[in-house]
Amino acid sequence: MVNETSRTPAQTTGHVWDSDLQEYNNPLPTWWVYGFYVTIAFAITYWIIYPSWPFGKSFLPGVSKVTYVNAEGKEESWHWNTRAKLLKETQDAAAQQKPYYDKIASLPYDKVAKDPELSSFVLSAGKAIFSDNCAPCHQAGGQGKIGYFPNLTDDDWLYGGNFDKINETITHGRHGYMPPFGESLEPAQIDALANYVLSLSGEKVNAVKAAEGNKLFHSHTAACYYCHGDNAKGRQVVGSANLTDKVWLWADVPGAKDEAAKVAAVKSVITTGLNRGVMPVWEGRLKPEQIKLLTVYVHELGGGK
Amino acid sequence: MAATSNPATEQYNFDIVRKFSIMTLVWGVVGMLVGVYIASELAWPFLNFDSPFFSFGRFRPVHTSGVIFGFGGSALFATSYYVVQRTCQTRLFAPGLATFTFWGWQAVIVLAALSYVMGYSQGKEYAEMEWPIDLLIEVIWVSYMAVFIGTLMKRKQPHIYVANWFYLSFILATALLHTFNNVAVPVGLFTMKSYSLFSGPQDAMLQWWYGHNAVGFFLTAAFLGMMYYFVPKHAGRPVYSYRLSIVHFWALSFMYMWVGTHHLHWTAIPDWTSTLAATFSIMLLLPSWGGMINGIMTLSGAWDKLRTDPVMRFMIVALSFYGMSTFEGPLMSLKDVNALSHYTDWTVGHVHSGALGWVAMISFGSMYHMIPRLWNTQLYSVRLVNIHFWLATIGVLLYITAMWISGIMQGLMWRAFDDFGNLQYSFVESVAAMHPFYAMRAIGGMFFLTGMILMAYNCFMTIRQGQRAEQAAPAAAVASA
Repeated sequence: MVNETSRTPAQTTGHVWDSDLQEYNNPLPTWWVYGFYVTIAFAITYWIIYPSWPFGKSFLPGVSKVTYVNAEGKEESWHWNTRAKLLKETQDAAAQQKPYYDKIASLPYDKVAKDPELSSFVLSAGKAIFSDNCAPCHQAGGQGKIGYFPNLTDDDWLYGGNFDKINETITHGRHGYMPPFGESLEPAQIDALANYVLSLSGEKVNAVKAAEGNKLFHSHTAACYYCHGDNAKGRQVVGSANLTDKVWLWADVPGAKDEAAKVAAVKSVITTGLNRGVMPVWEGRLKPEQIKLLTVYVHELGGGK
Repeated sequence: MAATSNPATEQYNFDIVRKFSIMTLVWGVVGMLVGVYIASELAWPFLNFDSPFFSFGRFRPVHTSGVIFGFGGSALFATSYYVVQRTCQTRLFAPGLATFTFWGWQAVIVLAALSYVMGYSQGKEYAEMEWPIDLLIEVIWVSYMAVFIGTLMKRKQPHIYVANWFYLSFILATALLHTFNNVAVPVGLFTMKSYSLFSGPQDAMLQWWYGHNAVGFFLTAAFLGMMYYFVPKHAGRPVYSYRLSIVHFWALSFMYMWVGTHHLHWTAIPDWTSTLAATFSIMLLLPSWGGMINGIMTLSGAWDKLRTDPVMRFMIVALSFYGMSTFEGPLMSLKDVNALSHYTDWTVGHVHSGALGWVAMISFGSMYHMIPRLWNTQLYSVRLVNIHFWLATIGVLLYITAMWISGIMQGLMWRAFDDFGNLQYSFVESVAAMHPFYAMRAIGGMFFLTGMILMAYNCFMTIRQGQRAEQAAPAAAVASA
């Protein structure tokens, strides 16, 4: 029911600006006034719950409490604060996961990998840890990036693909190195070597140059076999690449459009060498049980041995 | 006839208003174009062209400064100089100083944009300008304040009209905010680089005291001033409630100053500061709505104008978006809502519902009202205004809908845990999920930009029409004599 007074036109304040600008003197809308009071009541309630008004060097702590375990392992309650809340939530999450981590720590790798419940946990926690720490280089699925970071989903391993080796790689990191042969070999020799290396993976190459490269590879002049081995299958002790498996990390052979481009890609690696295959040390950044879990996760990405 | 053809221009100093109005349109087109470009960079990253000069990081402040200070700032200078003269019934105080504010302000925008592209930034949002530009702003702002207050003081009206209170509070608050947030120590006299005098949480809290009050006074109070003149003037009806305007003016001015810290929830600031910021944000809701009520209710009894007049429609839709985003803001300032919304696109959507829906739309409406009057003519095409209105409305809706979906999705993905208590998604998965909405947002921006370009064309034709009529008038007078 609208009362009569609100229907009669309101009075203006009597002021006029710019020939016709005026203001009615309507009262404040009732719902507006009460709405304002409600927000004030809400604010006061909020002040009672959370830390609010400062006075002196302290402040009203609020009635809400957070209980967490302090550094001495004792339960402690504090007024609501973001730091205690973070501690509490982290502790709760850790408590929820503790049984799984305990089991993983006590069992050998292959038992962890074969246990259905544990392997589900590894898949779940491993993905989170991998995404946070490893994916920036090895990519979200572990597929790596040619020219930069090794693929972890194939069965080609520079430093070994069994559980212990993977754990060693994560814990201590790696630093791959190949000397720049541009400083010691002639361009023609490097060209021959590139043809030979490509031939090992079944690529179509200049047979004469490849034969010449084969000789150089096993000679004292280039001495490639020191690191890559007589059979060119690489040596995991030094992390040298297997050159016969059609898997390419540094030279983008799969992405090269023709034979010349493939040769050029390999030549570039031989000429400038490599000093960028750096995997950081994760010991100290990740907990041992996380590294163990990550080892199983990486092993199960596809190519574990 | 010739001598009296332009009485309005003789009574008031409209030259400065015309200059700022034209630059409002120019910066509107430029600033929104850069906005569409950076939105497209997020959707299609090749647009960065692997060049630092084109990168999102450098273009983003060009966009924000271009639209806030270039477009919004010029619109505020133009309308405040127009409104203060007309409602005080007097010409501007110190016209030379007013002209200085024009050239100085334009120089600030150009210098700021160039310095960002060159890689100079204070790293403070909406205060990226380095110290030499800050000093220039300081001088211009004090001049602006002198012109405005001087004009108020020589008014021929006994009372100060409500629009001027809002403009004045905006000018005063901006002076304070700008000064204190930019206290910095230059590395050298001849280097652009400087470091803030404050550090850590103090610096962050000062920055967001500035940042949120830039929203509160620059983008809200000032545009409410614009609204308080142009809505009743265009509708030809009195303001709904003088009492409401007083109460909400003081409540708004008082509350806004407290809320900046709600940008820093869940960070290293003291928790009590975050609580106070949240509660003052909540208490700000109704004072903010006071302006919306006063604007919309002014039209009560003349609702038919919404059907027939697209300029009026711009103003009323602007007020509706204002009401919506001032409801959304307090909601997002609550600790628990903020835990979801912070760092997501929801914030970006919220800002744009205010910036496009409120600030830009009320400016469009006011400019469409003012520009024909400045050049003594009629709008070149009301039909184009209507098309502009629909392009702008569709653009805003696409934009904020995209950002709501993408923002809330981001927030939910970041906090999703699986049965084992592990994070369900990696960060990059959330980025991939946002892609379609980034494209949608860019398209929304394109709609809005197209409308802006139409407006610039319409106003250009309006101005030309006004100038031709003015040139023809003396000739006609001679012929008839």
